[in-house]
Amino acid sequence: MKRVVVEKKILEKNDDIANQIRNLLDKNRIFGLNVMSSPGAGKTTLIEQIVKVLKPKYKIAAVDGDLDTQRDALRISALGIEAVQINTSGTCHLDSSMVQKALDHISLDLDLLIIENVGNLVCPASFYLGTHKNAVLISTPEGDDKVKKYPTMFNVADVVLINKMDIAQFVNFDIEKVENEIKELNPNARIFKVSALKNEGLKPFIDWIETNINLVKNR
Amino acid sequence: MHEGAIAQSVVEVLRDIKDQNGLLSITSATLKVGAVSGVMIDALLFAFEAIKKEEAFIKDATLNIINVNVKAKCNICNKIYDFDNTDDLVMICTECQMPLTIINGKELEIIDVEGE
Repeated sequence: MKRVVVEKKILEKNDDIANQIRNLLDKNRIFGLNVMSSPGAGKTTLIEQIVKVLKPKYKIAAVDGDLDTQRDALRISALGIEAVQINTSGTCHLDSSMVQKALDHISLDLDLLIIENVGNLVCPASFYLGTHKNAVLISTPEGDDKVKKYPTMFNVADVVLINKMDIAQFVNFDIEKVENEIKELNPNARIFKVSALKNEGLKPFIDWIETNINLVKNR
Repeated sequence: MHEGAIAQSVVEVLRDIKDQNGLLSITSATLKVGAVSGVMIDALLFAFEAIKKEEAFIKDATLNIINVNVKAKCNICNKIYDFDNTDDLVMICTECQMPLTIINGKELEIIDVEGE
């Protein structure tokens, strides 16, 4: 019997590849944004709106994670930018090796790389992908009790977008409660109240993205 | 349910440890799992039991889990906060009203392995 004392991170390999991705993004001065939420919270619609506004000024590409279909990448590429679909065939999150493979298919002459994670408020939070920032969406019809149910996800968020604000009143969504819970769990996270579909309230978030694009570019 | 992927990573790390230390098999491993690591321990153990059958070197291995609660620190006054329950997490210092930094609770580590 032999006892070995180690101190090894279980996700060390994921983190190693994620760090390689981060170096690649930094070297090419690309701002990387990982977008996470439950299915149907509005990630793709939000990304469409971002791309429409920022495309005239910046070079953008997207990586879309889903269990199946090319639907999200088709929606994004219809706007005239490069979008690569990753089909995880059953896996509930993107890991860094999937993103690394997807990046082989993208020209890195970019200012902004958006990674749309698999719709899931649990698993994607555990896998660092090498992006500079994490954006987490919560949409009002999901209910106003979600923040404290998913502490890991809201903890890794740099920004939280509360989406579908236009219907908040119809689904008894207590906005103040949600904002307070986000502030309790993650006081550093910036909160944006938006309706992506209606294109309402997005300007402060898009300004935040632009600030980050320029920060990474001028490093 | 990403614990399948996490369990697979545990097996890969154990394989490296086995090779690096000249072991033939691993009989037990101790893991630290933080309360906000995003991993559900029962699901991880379940997934590990399933993978065990496929891998001869861990066929008799057991996982011991050390739960790590969230501990956070105020960056201004250095006050330490211990949260026994993640329901109670409030990451703001009651004295300074400033954000706390998590110092424990995100762990996902293998700290100790026994083998032959």
